[in-house]
Amino acid sequence: MTDMTDKTQTSSSKTTLSPATARERVAASLAARHGRERRFRNYGRFAIALAITFLLILFGSIFTKGIPGFFQHYVTFDVVLDAEELDPYGDASAQSLFDGNARGVIRDGLFDLLEVSGRKNKKAAGRIVSEGAEQRLRNMITANPELLGTTQTITVAVDDDIDSFMRGFISRDTPESDRRINDLTIGYVDQLVAEDRISFAVSDYLFFGSASRNPEMAGVKGAFIGSLLTLFICLILSFPLGVGTAIYLEEFAPKNRLTEFIEVNINNLAAVPSVVFGILGLAIFIGIFGLPRSIPLTGGVVLALMTMPTIIISSRAAIRAVPQSIRDAALGIGASKVQTVFHHTLPLAMPGMLTGTIIGMAQALGETAPLLMIGMVAFVVDIPGGFTDPATVLPVQIFMWADFAERMFVQKTSAAIIILLLFLIAMNAAAIIIRKRLERRW
Amino acid sequence: MFDTVTKSPTVGTVHSDNPKITARNVFVDYGEKRAIDDVSLDIGVGEVISFIGPSGCGKSTFLRCLNRMNDTIETCRVSGDIRLDGQDIYDHSIDVVPLRARVGIVFQKPNPFPKSIYDNVAYGPRIHGLAQNKAELDDIVEASLRRAGLWEEVHTRLDQTGTGLSGGQQQRLCIARAIAVSPEVILMDEPCSALDPIATARIEELIFELRGDYSIAIVTHSMQQAARVSDRTAYFHLGRLIEVGETSAIFTSPQHELTNSYITGRFG
Repeated sequence: MTDMTDKTQTSSSKTTLSPATARERVAASLAARHGRERRFRNYGRFAIALAITFLLILFGSIFTKGIPGFFQHYVTFDVVLDAEELDPYGDASAQSLFDGNARGVIRDGLFDLLEVSGRKNKKAAGRIVSEGAEQRLRNMITANPELLGTTQTITVAVDDDIDSFMRGFISRDTPESDRRINDLTIGYVDQLVAEDRISFAVSDYLFFGSASRNPEMAGVKGAFIGSLLTLFICLILSFPLGVGTAIYLEEFAPKNRLTEFIEVNINNLAAVPSVVFGILGLAIFIGIFGLPRSIPLTGGVVLALMTMPTIIISSRAAIRAVPQSIRDAALGIGASKVQTVFHHTLPLAMPGMLTGTIIGMAQALGETAPLLMIGMVAFVVDIPGGFTDPATVLPVQIFMWADFAERMFVQKTSAAIIILLLFLIAMNAAAIIIRKRLERRW
Repeated sequence: MFDTVTKSPTVGTVHSDNPKITARNVFVDYGEKRAIDDVSLDIGVGEVISFIGPSGCGKSTFLRCLNRMNDTIETCRVSGDIRLDGQDIYDHSIDVVPLRARVGIVFQKPNPFPKSIYDNVAYGPRIHGLAQNKAELDDIVEASLRRAGLWEEVHTRLDQTGTGLSGGQQQRLCIARAIAVSPEVILMDEPCSALDPIATARIEELIFELRGDYSIAIVTHSMQQAARVSDRTAYFHLGRLIEVGETSAIFTSPQHELTNSYITGRFG
């Protein structure tokens, strides 16, 4: 009681400011305060404008480079599907077609159209058609063996050098000796253009083709499926483990030195360079456990290690954000700890957990370095059919294409980057939709 | 000067002739800090007892000892002897799940689950397996909501979310939720402190109606509320139980100097 009276007593020599002086000083300080607020707002606006500008430049550049990559040039002409030539054994089997002379049939069709004769001329004209045309023709006959013996109009991709020439990357003004295609070939191309035989259409190879050294035949399908398979393994491993770890650490683990140590380590793991996880995967999963390299299973396991810290950290934050009052309510009517967690905490934390998981998955989708370590950089022509087939993933495919010298790979690389970005956007959109569905007020 | 006074034994009778809960020599520590210092108190069958006292006096802590809600606080240590129907609730063989089904609790801030009104009330019976079938569960929900005086207001919208109700309705929903598991004791931790006077009056009426069927312990900051709803009143100060007695006696002729100062509004 005595100390209360001490506080209320004020020294008589000191007085507070008069209301008029106080008002004056407040007014003076007001200008400075408003100025500071204005300046801070402007910094923010400037930063946002800068970010948006760079984003627009980035997207603008990717799309202007990449959109043409979705198209390529095709040439259309008639071929005589001679049964003897194409199907020497007469059973339309894969082996028979493979041993047949599809290449000759295609070349003859083209030569007839262009009225080519002479070895040198044939060599020049033959360069126009892509090697992929043969496979196309064989597939066509496998699907419809009755086509044998008829004459059909086919549309096949042109060689990548011709494609680059059509796009203007190879100039006629360059001396012939410095050019990848000679004057004779250009003459035939001009002839085809004049007859309106060359078309610029959406590239089916890009979407349905796999890795290839021929840029006009290269596509992302194999890498896309490889990415899906790898991400699936990554998700089914890292989500349950990550969420389980978060629940245990937040709700059940005793707070002692050991759990503190584990927490610190999980936080540090999130900052470990991803290539280290690749080395770990190489040493442990491939070296010790003997998992095969280059397969989505191994890749998924390595990426799961990498995404788990992200999922754990965001899941723990989401669990912590659930109000204690909800837990108390459940415990107060006799719910057990596990019931409280699974009936109340987990559903309420789920949107946050999913956000973290999607961020982790997006990271995993874009990851290249650890997959290089475990051999998913292999040149895989076949489209993977399962978790144990050799495969590569989208970012690695982009990385490999960016490394190739042919001009046409520039467009293919940009197109693949756009596909990767669209994949990411689709994943994020799915995450937002799932989150909105699950979100509940409290 | 307080120290010497607070170390003195509790004034009044802590015993009850027909006790539901008996607490003897209870000490509670939060880490280094002692929150409850040697408190002994009985809660009788069907009686309403209110715990009053200035902030930080330990009345909520003591309340939460009675159904072991303090277990959720890591640093909290409880010693002493607390019995429900003669059984030690801090015994190692005791499972807190059935204990909390018998001793329900209503919190200061209404905390309905972010689920439908029906699911809020049905949650307890569901996890404890109280209803044999859907019809029985419906009956339990309706009876609990009626008991909590909420049925008339919500029976047309049981599928709507419980968090959409007004504060007072939410608190009555929480009481209905506690009643639904047929507890023997209901603990209320300042159930009206977040409510307006009209909602408070409804809760007080409700407590009055529940008297006799349940033993009710209520922590309150409002002395008027304690005077209106309770049979007995316990006055806590700095972790000690200073005085306990018939509510009328405590408010008209407090024996202890501290009780007297508090109820006459000298501090608190």
